[in-house]
Amino acid sequence: MSTALTTARAPRGSAGRGRVIRRLVPGVLLVLLALIGPFLAAHPLDKPVTAPFATAGDGAPLGGDQLGRDVLSRLLHGGTALIGSALLVAAVVTALAALAGCFAVLHPAVGRAVERTADVFILLPPILGIMLIALAWPGGGRWAVISAAIILGTPYAVRIVAGAAAPLADAGYVEAALAGGESLIYTATRELLPNLRSTILALFGLRFVEAVYVISMAGFLQIGPQPPAADWALMIRENSSGILLNPWAVVAPSLAIAALAISVNLAATSLAPRSARKAVITP
Amino acid sequence: MAELSHAPKGSAVAAPAGTGAATARRRPLPIPHLGRFAAAVGRRVLMLAILLALVFAAVELLPGDAATATSERGESAADIAARRHLLGLDRPVWERFWDWMAGLFTGDLGVSARGEKITQMLADPFPNTLLLAALAFVLTAVASVALGCWAAARPGRLIDRVIGHASTSAFAIPEFVVSVGLLMLLSLWTGWLPAVTVAGADGRPATWTMLITPVLALVIPQTGWNTTIVRGALADQAATPHVEAAHLDGLPVRRVIWRHALPGAVPAIATGLATSTGMLLGGTVVVETLFNYPGIGSVLASAVSTRDTPLIAGVVVCAGTAISLVLLTADLVRARVLGSHA
Amino acid sequence: MDINRRQVLLAGGAIGAAALLAACSSGSGDTAADSSGKGGKPRKGGTLRIGALGRAGAITRDPHGTQANESDYLILALTFDTLAVPGAKSNTVPRLASWEPSADLKTWRFKVAKGAVFHDGTPATADDVVWSLRRLRNTPAGAARLPGVKNADSITAEGADTVVVVSEYANADFPLMTRFATFVMKKDTPDKAVAKAPGTGPFKLDWYRNGNARLVRNDKWYGGTVYLDAIEVTMFETPQAMANALFAGQIDVASNAGPIAARTAESRKDIQVVRRPDDMSMPIVMRTADGPFADPRVREAMRLVVDREAMVKQALSGYGNVANDIMGTGDPDYAKDIPQRKRDLAKAKQLLEDAKFDLSKTYELYTTEDVSGIADSATLFASQAREAGIKIKVVKQESGTFYEKTWLKGDLYTNYWGTNDSVLFFASKTLLSGAGQNESGFDDKEFDATYRKAIGTTDKQARAKALHELQQIEYDRSGYLLWGMADGVDLAAAKVQDLPKLPGYGRVQLENVWLS
Repeated sequence: MSTALTTARAPRGSAGRGRVIRRLVPGVLLVLLALIGPFLAAHPLDKPVTAPFATAGDGAPLGGDQLGRDVLSRLLHGGTALIGSALLVAAVVTALAALAGCFAVLHPAVGRAVERTADVFILLPPILGIMLIALAWPGGGRWAVISAAIILGTPYAVRIVAGAAAPLADAGYVEAALAGGESLIYTATRELLPNLRSTILALFGLRFVEAVYVISMAGFLQIGPQPPAADWALMIRENSSGILLNPWAVVAPSLAIAALAISVNLAATSLAPRSARKAVITP
Repeated sequence: MAELSHAPKGSAVAAPAGTGAATARRRPLPIPHLGRFAAAVGRRVLMLAILLALVFAAVELLPGDAATATSERGESAADIAARRHLLGLDRPVWERFWDWMAGLFTGDLGVSARGEKITQMLADPFPNTLLLAALAFVLTAVASVALGCWAAARPGRLIDRVIGHASTSAFAIPEFVVSVGLLMLLSLWTGWLPAVTVAGADGRPATWTMLITPVLALVIPQTGWNTTIVRGALADQAATPHVEAAHLDGLPVRRVIWRHALPGAVPAIATGLATSTGMLLGGTVVVETLFNYPGIGSVLASAVSTRDTPLIAGVVVCAGTAISLVLLTADLVRARVLGSHA
Repeated sequence: MDINRRQVLLAGGAIGAAALLAACSSGSGDTAADSSGKGGKPRKGGTLRIGALGRAGAITRDPHGTQANESDYLILALTFDTLAVPGAKSNTVPRLASWEPSADLKTWRFKVAKGAVFHDGTPATADDVVWSLRRLRNTPAGAARLPGVKNADSITAEGADTVVVVSEYANADFPLMTRFATFVMKKDTPDKAVAKAPGTGPFKLDWYRNGNARLVRNDKWYGGTVYLDAIEVTMFETPQAMANALFAGQIDVASNAGPIAARTAESRKDIQVVRRPDDMSMPIVMRTADGPFADPRVREAMRLVVDREAMVKQALSGYGNVANDIMGTGDPDYAKDIPQRKRDLAKAKQLLEDAKFDLSKTYELYTTEDVSGIADSATLFASQAREAGIKIKVVKQESGTFYEKTWLKGDLYTNYWGTNDSVLFFASKTLLSGAGQNESGFDDKEFDATYRKAIGTTDKQARAKALHELQQIEYDRSGYLLWGMADGVDLAAAKVQDLPKLPGYGRVQLENVWLS
């Protein structure tokens, strides 16, 4: 069945594993660097060391930001919280979606409710939703954004899991388990979930990328992290006025976000088989 | 490249991955044409109404209200109460919501916290945003189909891999990063294009060149997303018997893709593009602010900061209606294609 | 630097009431405009394209409405006239009216300027002014905008050209309050027609659309020759976008573009930077009535902790001057002889110890993002205070939340004022015991008595002495830590001449501008 439009799958085995590892490396390295960044920073994140938007020079290899703080130090400080929040969002959304998705398949009423909820939320651009939720909870800061990202991301993710689980639910062994008097929870966790491993893994990767997007977008709109926090998105926003004076103050955090999103995306796509990957992006 | 080719048989989730299998299962709708159309419209309208109720409730939860947000320093509590009465904010929530919903049918979106007519406030910005989003939408559609087909025509080769990587990278980068990059590159450093949008007496951007950078900033991330979908859908189609047959007949690859694979991939592509509408409209909030583009995104940003409930709701109505229409179109496209192929 | 919400100047309350009033200023700060401005004789003609900050959601067309947009205010100020305007030699100069007080400084007679005509040809009369002032007084913000005017009945016409306004208390500075918002429309203009109502101003509205407008010269203006053929106003959401538009040659003037844009422009020969000193004060307010800062020694210590030069350099990018904890730096009677307070950590630590200030606690400093540089100043102050062992955590609040929860109540917060040309303005509004906007809960009998002495006398010397005493008390023990004054910064293309150099809303007076 190999036509010109498809190719043979990459060979399984050591070559495939090597490729997977190669693709994981940049993401893992970057996440590690961001996590230990605060210890590498030369200056505290809120200490002015040079003139506002000073160009790169001694003491500040990437120049100063809008208060004359060291851009490099702030860059090293700025990744931890973003990555931490994105991991949390991705984990919670994936977990909720996995459970709710299985229930939706086994329980048609739940399934319909999930469908309708997703239909409603798809009409609300995510940024608008984040603005509303974060403003309804002032002082919520980062937690408000995290909750918003979870609330808005879950219905769509549930729909994906449900889509992937639907054919399995029709498969004999699930019906057998239900007929054999096993509880819904038992069936969902023991019979369905293990067979959805790769979908869930791919979903987690995509949700992480999506969470980075949403959280940094919120940061840019100044919802969430508050000054003097060194958040990459916030840095872009705060420093965009001085983009012509010290471009690094904006370019460096932009590159950091782009590199994080791309490398994690790469890692996520190489972890899951491609069918599962497609399952999570096919609406 | 393997990851964008079709599903290997025997994989855990191979079976449902077929394009539209899940969606088709969801909406079989064997009803005659008109009935089906009405049902689809009705469902979308209902969803929109529910969303509006949710938004109204969410804004009610915001601390303070439009009266405090628009008061001036030195106004006493009594002055603010007078302002609240003037704006009708002292009436019960449900009463205000009901009045507002009733007004929708006459195209009346009520008045903003500052007492301005919202329909009038959005009369120019909404078409501007639609123009921006529509241009971005069309460009996204063309670019992603073109890139997807190009990659599919040379499966596993360098160009397929490059497009694959570039598109997955592009959709991960937030619009504001793209915007800032384009602004520096195309305007501030080179001076090739205007840095901001200036509106003329007709309320539209004064020159068409002002649209280029904002549109590009929206197109790049969305093209990434949709190219991935197009490429995946084409890979699925490649595995279908009629496409295989066409290929075995010795037809040129381009013709096979264009005539045989693409038509079948349309439902998945349409759904993908429909999903992008929300992202495009969301992206306008940031892009319009950065480029001073006179659209509803910038109206929204300021409305949120002054807790202008009716104005926020007005923007949601506009965005929600636009998204509903696109989703409806996608529903119909899918129904038509799946219907004719089934 | 906030690029988003700084426009809420009026709405957030910053400039409410009389706060828009601008100072008398020598206008000496500017170099570029001076050098090019001396170039020649004013020339008629040309269209000025000016950018001003504003947000689409906050657009207001009503001259007496709550204006949050500088762009809207600019358009209104070009179309309509107020009774008085900020001036260069005296802080208040006549525009549509001149005035005369009664002996007890309570009754003020305003005489409408000769030759003042509305754009449709009808002459402006006392009836129009009375109607407009009453309309203003009847808005929810009326009591704050016309302070001391009990109600609409306190405003009456006397003959065809005289308006009588009665203040509840003696107020030698009453005309100061008429510099903002006293826009005069024709009597009985219906609310629906307000957007297109004719004014008496130097420019006529050609078109207005979504915050942008084009205005053409009013050839019959009573106030003097107007040079520009037309002014095109473009509204900008952010100072960055506005500066970018100027750099790309899309506009000629970026009004209130801020210091960062100015520094970017420094390297460009084709752009002039206009600095307007004493534009904005951003004091840190410490509660004097109770709480951790009630002890004057603690407040003194806080004032000794701040590194003023560093604040001006970092938070204002150098576009400003250090201040001396006295509000109203632009006042002609500002006490320049009181020695400048400097950083002294040793003395500060001693004072804190004497006052038994709890250094183990973390104190919250509330701030907003309403004006550019204010959140930065809070962040910097917190970092400077840490060097004296004081732990301060900066908490940023939404403008609305700030005015509801923190302003007038909090122990420690930042605030900002756009009127800085009058010591008495602050004395009466924010320092007098029981004053409506007493931000720090200041209650000082000696201060109150001195204030009464200052406003109750017509003797210049006695007044000056009382004013000096007021400032000494403020310096010694008020709740204000005023570390510096921000310049107003406008950017303009080289061809733009004679731009206004007054602080605050003096910058909207574009009638003398011409293009070379």
